[in-house]
Amino acid sequence: MNSPNGKRGWMQYMLKQVYINKTVLEAAKERISKVFDDFPNICVSISGGKDSTVLAHLTLTEAHKRNRKVGLFFLDEEVVYESTIKQIRYLMNLYPENTINLWFQIPFNLTNATCLSETQFIPWEPGKAKIWMRHKEPDSIQHYPWDKEKMTIRDKNKGFGFYDAIENFENSRENTAFLVGLRATESPNRWRAVSRNPGHKDWFWSTKMKNGNISAYPLYDWNFHDIWKYIYDNNLKYSKIYDYMYKKGMGLQEIRVSSLIHEKSFKALVELPEFEPKTYDRLLKRAKGIQVGHIYGKNNEILRARKLPKNFKNWMEYRDFLMDTYPDPSKKWIFEKRFKNHLNNNYVARQQCRQLLLNDYENNLPVDNKPDPREETIKKWRELL
Amino acid sequence: MRKIETSLGTYEIPDAPIIKTKKGDLKLPALSAILVPIELVQANNYNPNHVDDNNMKLLELSILENGFAFPVVTVWDPDIEKFVIVDGFHRYQIMRDYLQVKQLPIVVLEHDISQRLAATVQFNRARGVHQVDLMGDLVRSLFEQGQDDEEIAKQLGMDIEEVFRLKQVTGIAELFKNQMYSRAWEMQEVEDIG
Repeated sequence: MNSPNGKRGWMQYMLKQVYINKTVLEAAKERISKVFDDFPNICVSISGGKDSTVLAHLTLTEAHKRNRKVGLFFLDEEVVYESTIKQIRYLMNLYPENTINLWFQIPFNLTNATCLSETQFIPWEPGKAKIWMRHKEPDSIQHYPWDKEKMTIRDKNKGFGFYDAIENFENSRENTAFLVGLRATESPNRWRAVSRNPGHKDWFWSTKMKNGNISAYPLYDWNFHDIWKYIYDNNLKYSKIYDYMYKKGMGLQEIRVSSLIHEKSFKALVELPEFEPKTYDRLLKRAKGIQVGHIYGKNNEILRARKLPKNFKNWMEYRDFLMDTYPDPSKKWIFEKRFKNHLNNNYVARQQCRQLLLNDYENNLPVDNKPDPREETIKKWRELL
Repeated sequence: MRKIETSLGTYEIPDAPIIKTKKGDLKLPALSAILVPIELVQANNYNPNHVDDNNMKLLELSILENGFAFPVVTVWDPDIEKFVIVDGFHRYQIMRDYLQVKQLPIVVLEHDISQRLAATVQFNRARGVHQVDLMGDLVRSLFEQGQDDEEIAKQLGMDIEEVFRLKQVTGIAELFKNQMYSRAWEMQEVEDIG
């Protein structure tokens, strides 16, 4: 196997985390400065969340110093908190003379995890302008700014999705460094994948892409409290959702500001009316299944498949029932095909139930297909006794 | 006027007054409430609503401070000869167990079983929620009027933690101001001895 710097031989090399004599802030500023030295074009992905707020501010500060411009890229899922939108506008107005606004308001497919009859939600769907959550921004990008002939779609079944939109945008640029607020402590798996092969020079905090582009992660070693300290020290604004959720007693680490309806974030619907009643009212009219998400978002039986409903003997039986009654024939075969290759036990079946309940035909919450650990333990004890 | 014969005597229920609305006539059973012995009232067996202990204490406090302002909603079940609760089970429980009263104000609807089931859910679910930031404003203004955290917690049925969080004006970032930045790290290549 190749080691990261290309050496090959009998000696095994591995990457190890080594602390250096700098703070994460000093180190991040240096990394960002290097990006400015080596890349003519820079683009920061922003979500309205705390990490990308810090990254955008650091990058814009450097751009201002050097009299350069950087792109702020926001892919607008339409069904987001109003506070998220405010935050995006705030970031785009920080250094307008150094900012290229890349606010995308284009149609793409999003999973609607709370609704079985309308499994896909299309933000900014043409013809539905009357019920869109908001008006489009006057300065946003509203049409696919790439060659339609060359547009790529990873999975034809799912159609043009969130990641396709990002990928096509990135591939439409060249010699660009795309900066992302990924942190190792937050997403260890993604970080491990990133750090395996440096995308540029010895920058193990970057990955290589097409057209001389890279994506880079200057905040990779930041901890949660570093982010908040930076926001405090620089008197930055941040999404009000963080304060609301804190006031509600939620763990600070579990707060997300992204789309309100996909399979990892629908729990946000439970509190939404308490945070942003107007957003909730508009969402009720805009997408199906919102009320289900609101009432049962944290319920252990209906959406999360944590507890077996009392009318079923085991998870296998429940899965078969959910399969028989799955309402969308155009998606049902996807589950049938996927489950055919799975083991038939309670452990696997519970996860299959979760996919069916959340409408996860995209397989975003993959099934861990292995023998039931509980049965294995019982078997082991039986042998011992 | 309805007359209902019970094991503890006959009760007369006045006809509910009617007022006009944009959508037709509206009955006002609230105005024909009657006072009955509490042992004539019985819970239904289908109510899915659950109230936690803190909110039960708050409900008790509310009844003591504001009086019993909402009669318990019932229907008369001739088979078991009881007034069966459609809405207000927890108010009934407070009166029976916490305050140990002998009598309970009720209104008696003329619903059949399916109307009853629906009415229970309608009463339970057609309720609002409190906006977090307005709730915060409310807690702060109680605080500014000189109530301490414990009084506010008792008055509003919150625990101290919730009061503290709601009254925090400063926001999350403030909590981290005295932190030090972490030490930076790099990935370095080392020989794998193992």
